[in-house]
Amino acid sequence: MILSVAKESNTYDHRKMILFVAGEGLNSVRARENLLRVCEDRLKGRYDLEVVDVLKDYKAALAHNILVTPALLVTEPPPKVTVLGDLSDTSKLLKALQLDLTA
Amino acid sequence: MVSIHPAPDQKMSESRVRLLDKLPTHIPGLDLILDGGIPEDRMTILSGGPGSGKTMLALEIFYRNAAAGTPGLMVCFEEGGEAVRINALTMGWDLNAMEEAGKLAVIHPEIDYRAIRGGEFSIEGLLAVLAGKAQEIGARFILIDALDVLLRLFNDPERQMDECWNLNRWLNANGMTALVTAKLSQSFHSVEKYDFLDYLADCVIYLDQRIDGQVMTRRLRVVKYRGSGYSSNEHPFIITRDGLVLMPVTSAALNHKPLGQVISAGMATLDRIMGGGYRQGSTVLISGPTGSGKTTFSSLFTQAACRRGERVQYVSFEESPETLIIGMKSMNIDLAPHVAEQNLRFLTAMPEAMGVEEHLYRIFSSMEEFRPSHHIVDAVSAAVRMGSEKAAFNFMVRLMDECKKNGITCIYTNQTSSRAPVDEISGVGISSLIDTAVILDYDRKGDIFGRSVLALKSRGASHSHRFHRFHITDQGILMDEDDDGAGGDAR
Repeated sequence: MILSVAKESNTYDHRKMILFVAGEGLNSVRARENLLRVCEDRLKGRYDLEVVDVLKDYKAALAHNILVTPALLVTEPPPKVTVLGDLSDTSKLLKALQLDLTA
Repeated sequence: MVSIHPAPDQKMSESRVRLLDKLPTHIPGLDLILDGGIPEDRMTILSGGPGSGKTMLALEIFYRNAAAGTPGLMVCFEEGGEAVRINALTMGWDLNAMEEAGKLAVIHPEIDYRAIRGGEFSIEGLLAVLAGKAQEIGARFILIDALDVLLRLFNDPERQMDECWNLNRWLNANGMTALVTAKLSQSFHSVEKYDFLDYLADCVIYLDQRIDGQVMTRRLRVVKYRGSGYSSNEHPFIITRDGLVLMPVTSAALNHKPLGQVISAGMATLDRIMGGGYRQGSTVLISGPTGSGKTTFSSLFTQAACRRGERVQYVSFEESPETLIIGMKSMNIDLAPHVAEQNLRFLTAMPEAMGVEEHLYRIFSSMEEFRPSHHIVDAVSAAVRMGSEKAAFNFMVRLMDECKKNGITCIYTNQTSSRAPVDEISGVGISSLIDTAVILDYDRKGDIFGRSVLALKSRGASHSHRFHRFHITDQGILMDEDDDGAGGDAR
């Protein structure tokens, strides 16, 4: 499921990511909320977000070596970064999204 | 009229106890130890230190089951997991071909250790992958190799335990039989402790490898099997080119056949000394110092047996077959034709070249194929060089046991170095297990070098009790002219 598509396409300022969740599990719901909050706050209109439910699409999980959920895979800008967990640790999420460069 | 009923307790156990369904390992010996195999719909843990052979054993069970029509899914967490296919191929197990035929599936996901931990997570992803992949090939058997590697993602021991419970619950709920390997850390200071896995699993098998007097031996032990009988002994095993081979420590001595008919010891005079000769299926020990004629006596026996059309397997720890044949030829004992006619088979090996299990495996496989009537080990005293006296004892007793079971005459020559008890093999006491003991000796009276032979023990026969003098000539063994080998002045 595609949750967001970037409106402008500036390579430097553009984020591309996949969030892997397991159904409507507590951690999965939290991860989605936490991610959307940060994205809408800091990256509005500048990110592509796809959400994959591993219970429905195990092949995507296998293809991306996803063994634990929730897991966020940030593919752009490089390098690829994986963040495991419900993304409740905002500072780590910002770092992974390269939004915390001043820190 | 008498009617026969099954024993009441047997009847009861049949109706009240539902026997555990088992998945065979298809490894001879292991299924015996596990009383049928690993438990179905449950988790079996296979643990051991690095290099103990867990992955090899797991892989063999996985492959053999797939080949027997039980498809399986293997998940490999070890780094460089694709190497598993190559390792399997060295054993002749072509995982790729089986995978293409839809009989198994192997996945080796890469674990990203640099992943940032940004909150709570669980192994739901893995379970989803397992469920999907297993359904794809109709697998109800899952092999998880190196679960400890996956668990490293969870820094907290409590979380690791939770995830294992999670996995176990999922396996049970989905009716999956699982075989899980995990590295057992041998360091006392190790942070990683996966003891809880043992509590969780229904069946726990430990593998270890240790050095026993410079020779490496591997052992397997079942430490737990919920709801099933099992053998709790330590079982030595080896990894051969055909996979894992287990050796029972000792088989039931009750299966031994009684001593067979009288057979010639190789020459008439010697037969008279022995009270008729040796007995088919007995164990004979020929002891003496270097050069006393042990190899000559066993070669004489071999020649006589081969001439009767019986087969002899000759294990030589001292000389090559060529050297031995040339040496015997000079005494008019010609073994070469019997090798050509395939009545005589030599097996040579340096005792220290391998451990007891490898030696036995070689000998037993050859025996099974060659089916000899008689088996010679020259000299069994060299077996100490397999690592220790314990190793030598193991070797001798188990070979003897195998011969007895199959009614094969077992002849050991034994090099004695001192005036120590003549039926002792360098401290390895097997005298009570020997049926016939022959002592060879030499002495010097002035300029005269003399040889003598004594029948120390000959079970079930009335034998001579004195030393008989003999010479080794180019015509073989000649007894003293006035010695007809009769008991004469016994003691």
